[in-house]
Amino acid sequence: MFKLTSVTLGILLSIACFTLNAQQAAVNPGTAKGIVRDTAQNYVLKSATVSVYKSADSTLLSYQVTNNYGEFSFKNLPVNVLLRLDVSNIGYATSRKTFTIPAGKNTIDLQTIVASRRDILLKDVVITVPPISMNGDTLEFNAAAFKLDSNAVVEDLLRQIPNITLWGDGQITVNGKEVKSLLVNGKSFFGGDMKLATQNLAKNAVQKIQVYNKSRNQQSTNPADSTLEMNIKLKKGKEVGFFGKIGAGYGTDGRFETDASINMFTPKMQLAVVGAINNINKIADNTGELQSNSTFKGVGTNVEYQPDFRAEGITRPSALGANFTYNFIEKPTWELKNTLKSNYFLQGKNTNYLADSKTTTSVNSTDKVIEDSNTDNQSSNTTQRFDSSYEYAKKGHNLNFSQEVNFNQGDNVNQTFRRATNLQDVLTSTNNSMNTGNYNNKSFRFGGNYRYSPYIITQDTRFRGFDADYRLNTYNNESERLNLTEFKSFTGTAANQKFNRKYNTLSDGFRQELNLTIRDVKGLIFGNKKYSRLTFDLTNRLLLNSDKNDNRVQDLDTLSNVYRTNAYLNNKVTTNVIEETPGLKISRGFSKSMSNRYYKNLDFAFHPKMLLINQDNQSDRSFQNLKRSYSQFAPDAGITFYNNQYGETSRQYSLDYRTTMRIPDINQLAPLTDSTDIFNLRRGNINLKEVVQRELSFSFYSYDQRNKNTLNYNFTLRAGLNANNIVDSLLIDEQNRRTVYLVNADGNKYLNGEASIRKTYKLKTSEFQFNLYGNFNTGRNPGYTNGVFTYSSNLNTYSTGGINYTYKSYLAVALSQSWTTYKSKQEAFNTQYSGKNVGTTLTASYNITKKLTLNSNISNNTSTSSNAKDIVYTIWNANMVYRFLKGNNAEIKFAALDLLRQNTSVINYGDANSFTIGTQNVLKQYFMTTISYYPRQFGKKGKAKK
Amino acid sequence: MAQASKVDSTGMRTLRIDPFAARGASVSQFFDEVTFTPLETTKESLFGAIQQLKVTDEHYIIYDWETKAVLIFTNAGKYVAKINASKIEKDPKVKDQSFYGFNIKKEDGQTLIEISSGKQIYYFDLTAKLIRKVPVNKDKTKEKDYTNYKKFSDGTIIDQAFLEESGKDSIYYNISLLKDGKRVESYFPYRNSDHKGDERWHGGRIYDYGNPDEFLFIKNFYYNIYKLTSKKLSLAYRILFPAVNSLPMDYDTNPIYKGKGYDYYEKNRDVFFELTNSYLHYNNLYFQVRNWNWSRDEKKAFIYNLKTAELTSLADIEPDSTSQFLPVTDLASQYDFTNKGFHLVTPEYFYTSYSSLTLFTAKEQNEDKNRKYNAAITEYFKTQNKKSNPIIIKLKPKKF
Repeated sequence: MFKLTSVTLGILLSIACFTLNAQQAAVNPGTAKGIVRDTAQNYVLKSATVSVYKSADSTLLSYQVTNNYGEFSFKNLPVNVLLRLDVSNIGYATSRKTFTIPAGKNTIDLQTIVASRRDILLKDVVITVPPISMNGDTLEFNAAAFKLDSNAVVEDLLRQIPNITLWGDGQITVNGKEVKSLLVNGKSFFGGDMKLATQNLAKNAVQKIQVYNKSRNQQSTNPADSTLEMNIKLKKGKEVGFFGKIGAGYGTDGRFETDASINMFTPKMQLAVVGAINNINKIADNTGELQSNSTFKGVGTNVEYQPDFRAEGITRPSALGANFTYNFIEKPTWELKNTLKSNYFLQGKNTNYLADSKTTTSVNSTDKVIEDSNTDNQSSNTTQRFDSSYEYAKKGHNLNFSQEVNFNQGDNVNQTFRRATNLQDVLTSTNNSMNTGNYNNKSFRFGGNYRYSPYIITQDTRFRGFDADYRLNTYNNESERLNLTEFKSFTGTAANQKFNRKYNTLSDGFRQELNLTIRDVKGLIFGNKKYSRLTFDLTNRLLLNSDKNDNRVQDLDTLSNVYRTNAYLNNKVTTNVIEETPGLKISRGFSKSMSNRYYKNLDFAFHPKMLLINQDNQSDRSFQNLKRSYSQFAPDAGITFYNNQYGETSRQYSLDYRTTMRIPDINQLAPLTDSTDIFNLRRGNINLKEVVQRELSFSFYSYDQRNKNTLNYNFTLRAGLNANNIVDSLLIDEQNRRTVYLVNADGNKYLNGEASIRKTYKLKTSEFQFNLYGNFNTGRNPGYTNGVFTYSSNLNTYSTGGINYTYKSYLAVALSQSWTTYKSKQEAFNTQYSGKNVGTTLTASYNITKKLTLNSNISNNTSTSSNAKDIVYTIWNANMVYRFLKGNNAEIKFAALDLLRQNTSVINYGDANSFTIGTQNVLKQYFMTTISYYPRQFGKKGKAKK
Repeated sequence: MAQASKVDSTGMRTLRIDPFAARGASVSQFFDEVTFTPLETTKESLFGAIQQLKVTDEHYIIYDWETKAVLIFTNAGKYVAKINASKIEKDPKVKDQSFYGFNIKKEDGQTLIEISSGKQIYYFDLTAKLIRKVPVNKDKTKEKDYTNYKKFSDGTIIDQAFLEESGKDSIYYNISLLKDGKRVESYFPYRNSDHKGDERWHGGRIYDYGNPDEFLFIKNFYYNIYKLTSKKLSLAYRILFPAVNSLPMDYDTNPIYKGKGYDYYEKNRDVFFELTNSYLHYNNLYFQVRNWNWSRDEKKAFIYNLKTAELTSLADIEPDSTSQFLPVTDLASQYDFTNKGFHLVTPEYFYTSYSSLTLFTAKEQNEDKNRKYNAAITEYFKTQNKKSNPIIIKLKPKKF
């Protein structure tokens, strides 16, 4: 139904653009100009802020900063309307002038606007703040200058600022450059998710928003190293506050949701407690996710967060989280920081998953096996996580500690019924299996990092600093499983198999990693004598890994009805791996600049490393007692070129080369083969060699430095070769039983990449955003199927394009289209599978009044597969939200989900030599009413919590 | 301590200067003539910014730090020739033959460009032709080579690091006057250890304002302007700034500030840590101040009239018809003037320069105003762009 091609979209939108432009020009043809002068001191004011308001209701129409001649010039102002002009500048009283642009003439010259210093002129002082000002290198937006609804949040404010773009995906750009971090009063706010600050903090609690460049590395003077940071400065007295949500909803089919959250902050402390339970697949995996899904948001339009209709199965999650941050230093700076953060999260999850699928696999060039499979999986899981981190920085010293404890326990019941047929539709085998099990996993992680760089570096500074990084991971896992399997062959009874097997697995181990870098060793040894312009850094990585596995396996003795130990699978294995990687990083940078013209920087780095790995396996089974050593010269290299043409674009090109090695583990070398794995019987190969992966990647980005209608784009390409890749040699019999041998094979190649383009058109009251994103992955994988060597070539692509349109704060429309394709080809068998998923989504949000909002979301999905009928379905969700009470603190929402009752959630995917299609159980149509209350208060006194 | 001469402060004047009270003016109030000379841009003549400028009757000679080159232009801006490391013969013993400035020498009516690079001093004519080379006197036992030192018309040399051997810790002098190889006077003794770790300390700077018999001298961390003649150093002007802008009186000597400059300026951002680029033209005293603030709203370059006590902000000298409504410095847009002050000051002319980016920005801001530019500027706007070579601005100051 919404099969609009991008071409038609383009045409539609360009027409819309044109009409809007034309309308604006026709309605507001007025221009006004003038010059701002301090007559007492006899000079013009450069970069004073001039704002034009409609006199009747004080709506801000436009604003400008005066140029070097003290001049301003406005276009597109209404004629024959009384207007007001305010001029403000730091240290000056606001000068005010009312005027009307005469119709017919359409222009007015306001001549000299006299600005007076605040200390001189004491009477008639008008205190207003300019919307925008430059304070040194910081761009400041003053909240008070923007007239918004009293319930507006920071996001609504940001939308009013012409230089700022809020993208559909949450990204914020200022003059086209991405804001990488957002702070509140100089500190990260509840973990740094920008939404938490922008959608919760009341606009009225904000004094100003500051935007500035932050250097990633304090010593670096390379502009490529700087990122954009935004700081929300709260009004005095508003540094203390709380906000939160409590909500509950109930609907048809027993669907329900409830959630509660409270977030408190003071200048030094931040505390959040959140909780949620539902049975509509709204799953949050951490405290931050819960927080970001219960924000207050503004009066503007928002494309609502919705239950996941595409998730597999039906999940009933419940979650509870708490998050605590304490800043020992109230105003942290780069040189002085002392922060403790901790976080607790508890999650319970019950999932019911049902799926029917059909998989077609090529056995050889003519035969195929078709398997119908039916799965029923019930699982429950409880996770607890406690983590904390501590950060300390003081003049050149940086210290970080972090730890995490995880407890994860659960149980599951899984039943699978499989039927295999051949191309002639003759039944060849059936297999029914049931697995019940439970597990109890514990893990602990600790990390420490110390970085030293001298605070002031002079020519004589020999020691240029070092980095030490230590990580420890330990785990202790315990699981029990009972497997009942019955395999029946219809082509020969001898092959029938039946199992009733119990597993009890205990595993524990640790991993320790120590990374050490000593910077600029040349300077350390030779002082400031310049023997060469190369920089040498010594690097070393030491990894100690130890894993212990204790597997107790018992089979039911059908005669005595007693479980007896399985002498073959019952086993203890200990694996110790030591990995040592010494390296020397050689780098050299060249930069070229020309004053007020350009800055170019070229960096070369060559990092030769030696990978030395020692692997030691000890087992009850003598064939698993293996000791192997590996060594590999593994150089990395990189070239980066940065080109900043002042006032035009800044671009970066990077070319990187990486070498990594993967060694075969004991389960690949000499596994104990469990005969119950009928469809995936794993046979090891003691002669397996290590895989050496070499990857070359290229990336590029371009930032637009113009102020309006920016175009930004980037792309990345990666190509790699896996020498001696470990691949499957698959034996499939006609009953679809599979045995997998592992072999080394050369010739594995891959190429993947991604690209994105963003462009905005900002008009007076509305805005268009265009974005295009695409990625692809293609590869050639060698492998054997029933003894025949074949290359399987794959191509997977994903591309999406979207247009967002917002009109003032009333209407937001987003249209997006995505294409997912897969294609695989088996050279030796001359077979090919391909498929395509096309999705079109139209989301609209309309604020009928300030309190009442309508949201609608329609998505159409088409699945095509080479050997099956097309599957087309449309999901339409709609809701109506009404906000009430004085501060819009209460909300009632009526939601209708899957109005067309078409959600089927299709399975459609392909891999090396097979493809699978089918359906799974998913969330279906329901209606729900939700009532929520948002308690919030900024500042200590005033209105008490209602 | 050894014998330091006494500074004559009998003629000292105290100037109370509040930067906040500085006024604006129009170009024509201070200057009679403004000449813009865009320097020709070719593939060969492209350079970054003017670091050093010398003027002869027919030429502009500039040094550009970014391309490490001396470029010769006619005084109409036409490119003549360039001297860079490639014009100097390769010395296998010297790795980097870049040079960092030049001098002008008059010999038998011929103007020569003197460049010292590696172990040689090279002399070029104004077509960049090598005339001769002379080895540098690097023999330490022999006398100091005073070729590049500032001199008075009577031959008296100013040595800014005169070393007096006296026992274990050597004493140096910030200012010493030497005549015929003999010391006449020495002022401001110091030991190397006195300022260890204070990265902003540099002793002091001497400013040439076109008077062959007098220089101005400003000692670092003080707001004093001295006059230096071949006979003596005398304190001419003591400037008092508002307290918020002033360094503590004992900043230079109190050990609590030693090596803590960055911290101090960071915390006291309004404080002027440097008084610099001072020139005297009739009754007008030009100077600049520096502090840790970057805002352009702050006035930092001034003209103080010694007769009327009027303070004018150089950044607020408004373009008028005398300057074809184009700015005379880049104080409002870029940093060339902030960093370097005037390149050259003579009683007749002042010289400064700025980038094409600055001039084109000014042109854009003058659009729709029907400005008429002279032939040279019209041609420049027609054929050049924001990335062309900088422009030399020659100002003829009013004598008052």
